[in-house]
Amino acid sequence: MDLIKNSEVFRKLSGIAGTINNSGIENLKKEGGKVAGYTCSFVPEELLIAAGFMPFRIRGTGSKSADLANDYFQAANICSMVRHCFNHILTGEYDFLDAAIIGGGCDANRHILDNWEKSDAKIPFLHRIFFPHATGDLMVEYFRNQLADMKAGIEKHFGIEVTDEKIWNAIKLCNEARDLQKELYSLRKADNPPITGAETVDVIVAGNSMPKEEYIADLKTLLNELKNTKVEDKNYKARLMIIGPCHDDTSMCDIIEGLGGITVTDLTCFGAKIIYGRVKDSGADPLQAIAEYQVQDRPFCPKNLGAHPIISKTVFENIKDYKVDGIIGQNMLCCDTWGGELYILNKELKEAGIPMLRIEREYIPDSLGQIQTRVQAFLETITGGTQ
Amino acid sequence: MINIYSQLMSAANKSLFGLTLGPQNESDGPFIMGNGDFFIEIPVAFGCSFSDLTLTGAMGTGLPNAAELIDKGTEVGVESRLCNAIKVATYYLEAGLLKTPDMIITTNSCCDAMDTLGNLLNGYKPWAHIPRFNMHAPHSYDDASYEYMGKQLRQAVKFMEDVTGRKMDMDRLREVCIESNKQCQLLLEFQELKKAKPCPAEPDLAREGAEFKNWSKDRISPQVTEWLEILVKETEKQVKEKKGIEGVDEKIRFLWQDLAGSWASGTVLARLQKELGAVCVMDYVSFGTWTPVDLSSEEAMFTSFGKRFLLEDPMNRQALHTTDLFCNDILQIVKDFSCDAVILPAHIAHRDTNSRIKVVRDMCHEKGIPCLVLGIDIWDKRYMTPDVAFDRMKTFFEISGLL
Ligand code: SF4
Ligand code: SF4
Repeated sequence: MDLIKNSEVFRKLSGIAGTINNSGIENLKKEGGKVAGYTCSFVPEELLIAAGFMPFRIRGTGSKSADLANDYFQAANICSMVRHCFNHILTGEYDFLDAAIIGGGCDANRHILDNWEKSDAKIPFLHRIFFPHATGDLMVEYFRNQLADMKAGIEKHFGIEVTDEKIWNAIKLCNEARDLQKELYSLRKADNPPITGAETVDVIVAGNSMPKEEYIADLKTLLNELKNTKVEDKNYKARLMIIGPCHDDTSMCDIIEGLGGITVTDLTCFGAKIIYGRVKDSGADPLQAIAEYQVQDRPFCPKNLGAHPIISKTVFENIKDYKVDGIIGQNMLCCDTWGGELYILNKELKEAGIPMLRIEREYIPDSLGQIQTRVQAFLETITGGTQ
Repeated sequence: MINIYSQLMSAANKSLFGLTLGPQNESDGPFIMGNGDFFIEIPVAFGCSFSDLTLTGAMGTGLPNAAELIDKGTEVGVESRLCNAIKVATYYLEAGLLKTPDMIITTNSCCDAMDTLGNLLNGYKPWAHIPRFNMHAPHSYDDASYEYMGKQLRQAVKFMEDVTGRKMDMDRLREVCIESNKQCQLLLEFQELKKAKPCPAEPDLAREGAEFKNWSKDRISPQVTEWLEILVKETEKQVKEKKGIEGVDEKIRFLWQDLAGSWASGTVLARLQKELGAVCVMDYVSFGTWTPVDLSSEEAMFTSFGKRFLLEDPMNRQALHTTDLFCNDILQIVKDFSCDAVILPAHIAHRDTNSRIKVVRDMCHEKGIPCLVLGIDIWDKRYMTPDVAFDRMKTFFEISGLL
């Protein structure tokens, strides 16, 4: 089904994913609501929601230039995702934020905070949070302490109390959203999925850009529509999986899908990685539950020195579950950790006879034609040039 | 005088190359391979040899066939703009040129590139059976972080004990720390002497001393102490006699806030010194803030290991933490060492420094300190040749009115 034509709720979610500020945020702010931006998927939305914020995952959507940010971040040597996001911060796109939590994921990302503090772009509350680069009990404890610091910082600045009960409720809410998102992903296991890869990107990105309850309601409506849709046989050339860091726009899926393939799943920082598993929703300590989920349970980011085995396991499971014919491994230029991870994965996939195309790209793709040619050749390799 | 300095340099260099590129002897004990820094007192006390693969890669870029090695590293295909030291290390690894270690210990310090190498080591199939231990060097520097790091170093010791079936002799570890404390104190004394005008010693000596202490095959040994004692004694003499670096008419003093890498010292920095009297009085790997390891209890000892690892040894101090710390150090160095200018070489793969350029520039501007951001590749001189780097720095000194 062509969702943009036929589904009102999809049109709404797609609109939210395609912009930064949106009417939902405007309404929320008018009613005195607060929005907290964050970078990196390990910054827990649960804690922000419990503190009364609407969480918004910072992205560079719609950016046409990173000129202002390039004064702060040397353009040739710093990931363009970071530069476009920061450019938006400097131009006032994120002026609606009441707080921002900057995750120290990679070296470039963590400096968003340092540069933000020194820039003219003012924000009431800025906080940094660091994620462990290894896994173990000590690291869970470290991250739990980071979460406690974040909570204390918010409480002090905004004069509020973030109770355990509020955190448990927020955990339940985020788990519910994750469960629905997983359900959406499951529909893509079908030979003819009712939703394309590009459409899925929009639906997932919207989830980090609007009030969670509203998103959950919209997602239920969309799932209902999708389940009741009769999908015609498309005879896709190949079913692909995208792996890599930030993937918050549809350009890669558009290319794949424009050439007769379909993206059926992914392992990216704006996609499957954030919907993986569930946070434990009861017990003695909600911060401990979030820390365990983030540090131990989730397919880690390759900045984590123990990440590869779980990334690899998840990729191979996905290949089987989603009947994947080939992988697109894409990283931003200057993204050191993902570059290394994709290299290791590529070797493993080769051994297993699964084709993988590696692409290094800019956040706002400047050479779509070239990428298109490479994807086309890749699809032909997969189909043996027969289709 | 200059002869003593050059003798010291060659002794340290020999020891450095001897470890990373030469064969490991059985007598060196179990062999640990790491992707980067480890708290070196631990393997020394345990009787282990430790090889830092990043350093091995970096040293590759100083070999006559550096360009070929870098190109081979690039062809491996990890990530096109990855640090060239790491690319060369990756090539060594993937081409099977490295001796198989008994253990692997990885950490994310000090940068994303080293983190990447850690993952490549962990993902290297032929070594999949080798026991490994991963450490997290946090980007935070407070008592809790030192304790956290100290606990990990303790676990690393336990890991080494489990793998080898040997026990760490804590008295031996204390002895090693006493020697290391002495060496840090001597490095600080040398650092202090370098504040003299004119600067008494070649810029490379401090780095050489720190590398000799931590990264050579003689690491933390009495030979290193002796080397540092001679260095301090000779430099004291120079300062008393108000002598500067031999053959240099000092006119400009500057801070080079990065590594000199494998080529800048012998080319750009040497020419600036000789031709323009512009002396690099301090750099990123020479500036340490060492405090003695606290030996009062085992717990205190490990916590101060954590502190030294995270904050006091130069590279981690500069690369792991906040821009504020980085900037404060610059200001402190400029003041203490009477620098006329700051050069930010901004090695192209240093994502941290490359994310700080405006803040550093603005701060220097505000304080009236001339500042130049170069943007070189410290491992590959084809990126910006030494001549171009020299010309840019010369022009900068001229425009700033320093020449
Ligand atoms: S793409 Fe890579 S370098 Fe860029 S922000 Fe994400 S993790 Fe960092
Ligand atoms: S990026 Fe810098 S710290 Fe990292 S390996 Fe290269 S030279 Fe060393």
